[in-house]
Amino acid sequence: MPSHTPRTATDAPADPFPVPGRPSRLDVAGQLLALLRDTTTEPRPDDQLEALTLAVAADLPVLLWGEPGIGKTAALTQLAESLDLPLTTVIASVHEPSDFSGLPIVGDDPAEQGIPMAPPDWAVRLVRAGRGLLFLDELSTAPPAVQAALLRLVLERRIGSLQLPPGVRIVAAANPRGSAADGWELSPPLANRFVHLQWTHDHDVVIRGLGGTWPRATLPGLDAGNLPAAVDHARRAVCGLLTARPALVHRLPSGETRRGGAWPSPRSWDMTIRLLAFANAAGSSREVLSMLVRGAVGDGPGLELLAALDRMDLPDPEELLADPAGADLPERGDRRQATLDGVVAAVRRRPDRSRWDAAWALLVRALETGAPDLVVVPATTLAALRQEDWDVPESIERLAGVVALSRRADLSQERAAARTGVTAGAGR
Amino acid sequence: MSAPTTGTDRDGTEGTEGTDGAGTRPAGTHRAKARPAAALDFDKLFAARLHAARVRPYLATALFALHTVASRQVPTMAVDRHWRCYVSPGFVDRTPVEELAGVWVHEVSHLLRDHHGRGDRVARERGLTGPGERLRMNIAADCEINDDVYGEGLVQPEGVLTPEYLGLPTGQLMEDYLRRFTLGALTQDLVWLDCGSGADGLERAWDLGPDGAHGLSAQEQDAVRFRVAQGINGRPGSAPAGWRRWAEEAFHPPQPWRELLGAAVRSAASGAGAGEDYSYARPSRRSAAVPGAVLPSLRRRPPRVCVVIDTSGSVSDTELGSALLEVAAIARAVGGRSDMVSVVPCDAAARIVHPLCSGEGIPLIGGGGTDLRAGFAKALGSGARPDVIVALTDGQTDWPATRPPCRTVVGLFHRNARSGWSEDDPEYVPDSPPAWARVVTIGSGHGTR
Repeated sequence: MPSHTPRTATDAPADPFPVPGRPSRLDVAGQLLALLRDTTTEPRPDDQLEALTLAVAADLPVLLWGEPGIGKTAALTQLAESLDLPLTTVIASVHEPSDFSGLPIVGDDPAEQGIPMAPPDWAVRLVRAGRGLLFLDELSTAPPAVQAALLRLVLERRIGSLQLPPGVRIVAAANPRGSAADGWELSPPLANRFVHLQWTHDHDVVIRGLGGTWPRATLPGLDAGNLPAAVDHARRAVCGLLTARPALVHRLPSGETRRGGAWPSPRSWDMTIRLLAFANAAGSSREVLSMLVRGAVGDGPGLELLAALDRMDLPDPEELLADPAGADLPERGDRRQATLDGVVAAVRRRPDRSRWDAAWALLVRALETGAPDLVVVPATTLAALRQEDWDVPESIERLAGVVALSRRADLSQERAAARTGVTAGAGR
Repeated sequence: MSAPTTGTDRDGTEGTEGTDGAGTRPAGTHRAKARPAAALDFDKLFAARLHAARVRPYLATALFALHTVASRQVPTMAVDRHWRCYVSPGFVDRTPVEELAGVWVHEVSHLLRDHHGRGDRVARERGLTGPGERLRMNIAADCEINDDVYGEGLVQPEGVLTPEYLGLPTGQLMEDYLRRFTLGALTQDLVWLDCGSGADGLERAWDLGPDGAHGLSAQEQDAVRFRVAQGINGRPGSAPAGWRRWAEEAFHPPQPWRELLGAAVRSAASGAGAGEDYSYARPSRRSAAVPGAVLPSLRRRPPRVCVVIDTSGSVSDTELGSALLEVAAIARAVGGRSDMVSVVPCDAAARIVHPLCSGEGIPLIGGGGTDLRAGFAKALGSGARPDVIVALTDGQTDWPATRPPCRTVVGLFHRNARSGWSEDDPEYVPDSPPAWARVVTIGSGHGTR
């Protein structure tokens, strides 16, 4: 931020002969600067900022990965303003390790009293304030010894002999490995303690901002009435996934491309539960949740968790079977098919006449409200579940179109097989 | 990347006042069916989709996730970046079901392989603008898809564009094809070709846009891609090689090797014990200002980098040249002077250590077999010990049995399959690089995805 000091009579070398009453050149420059600074803001949802806010609110250390100059610092300023926390920015690369681990001060009697490690002034002020947002910028260009000292600060929240109070939140920023001047690289244990957020710039936002209107993010508020449900939901989601996929509990990253990123471990799953609960209580979108979860446990396990959440969101087959007439089937084809498959599987688990009939009614409903090809597989499976004394329900006639469709696809497959059989010999 | 939400964010097309809650859509009638005069033969279209889902079960999720919209403006079938599929009623009318099944798979492939996002990226990187370039992207994307999605129960639709038609090799990625042809006589007949904004990123007149109904959000698209990739990885035998490659890379995209190699060498050269770091060996310049405090000072020792180069016949000069230049540039960037970088050419035996004063002056002669053990021994045994050894090889070699006393980065030249390994002994498989080395595969993936 350019800051200009008020002009006095002595510091005007650009205007050696000031005429009273005529504006000096610097005054005009000041007017121009004021015009340039005069920008407005507009509310605009910003998923990145929302994810960052939630992670900071959840008291987890965040690491922002982003190219230099894309507004990480500006985002932090906005975040501090909205959380009403004083912002302390520490540019890691211009500090020495002793600025973070404490300066050894030789006293009168070192052998008797020891050598205290004196903390730097910003840390003292932070502790005295009791709360604040500590932003460790330019982590990637700091020498290794500085990085090592910083990590103790992040992990143990200690600077020299000072312990940072719980009201202090820590956010770090680093440049991606490709654009880093030095070899900043997190070892797996350290990477595991951060929520990694990729910071990118949105082309439209930048253009509009340079044109004079910057976005103002509306920050999520936590719904106080929803807290127990949010915790329960988060625990159920993570435990459900890990019960089904025990291999996901702990998986060290392998390969050069995955180095330094998020990976799953009991610690990062615990962080995930926290993030899920916060996102849930704040009513965040799936986009935000996706950033947070993938930033905590990595892309693969994160996507599996999101898929599991999707399944949890599908309608309960038992409820659908209880009231087929009022059933509300998902609109999207793939989700609808997953729901119908779930219904048929529920009938297979506990087959009885009324449930079987209800399932047919559901299939008819699905056919009337959506694409017919989705119904083919569930209908075939359901038909195979028929027991001898069960009469075919009348509603099944309305599924005649499905049978025709299936038959048509059969014929098409036969024709295709005949045609590709020929080309298969010639080509591949 | 989140879709820009300009203007209204209300689901404007269907009159859904009061239901703008997160992600829940009203269960309405099928939008496309409601259109009166379209007369799109949905039964035929969906029979074709069923056919496609049966012969390509791993794509079923993606096929069913598409939202169908009848449109008379579309020449054939087209997709947009929000996973809507626009269909021309006339095209469905005149195309046999089995060919429609192929078109379904073709269109969904554009979306699964993120051709619009990759198209945008390429356009930015290479400065390609204008509809002509977008048409080239569509053609290149079609080439990437069409060389292996058909066959095995799926008919290649009439008039579909293949790499062979343009005289190009098969099995390449869109980005590679894009470099290899220009619009001209051969592509004259292709200007009608239009797979929509989902294929090349250029908005079309018929697109419903980000605010239209039934679009998939970026996260939903990722979820669908992920489920398809899982399906392929779960049963790798049933999918063709192109899809398997896609599934492996869908969420672990290959990074450009230059960056990886650079990061590995930098990290090795600047780690503890090498290169720049603090030491208490001499007092800091700040000491005078802070009496009574003990301060460390910054000392720098330029890292010594030794490059062991595999000069056997199996590595081409171009590959070696580009990799060597890369290492030299990185070494300079971490503060090494050019006399601190040395080069050891090595085939079956290592000859001599060259200082890297000028990149061209080193004779990279050799041929025949490789034994990198000799190269490592030479690098470690000659005068000052290097801080980092960078080995550039195609991996057809033996490796030292024990870990060398310095950091090791292996740049491994990408080799397809195991074709080159069976010259004399078909059973011979060379050792893979040892676990103590950081391995960067060179030449695979050009920062494409």
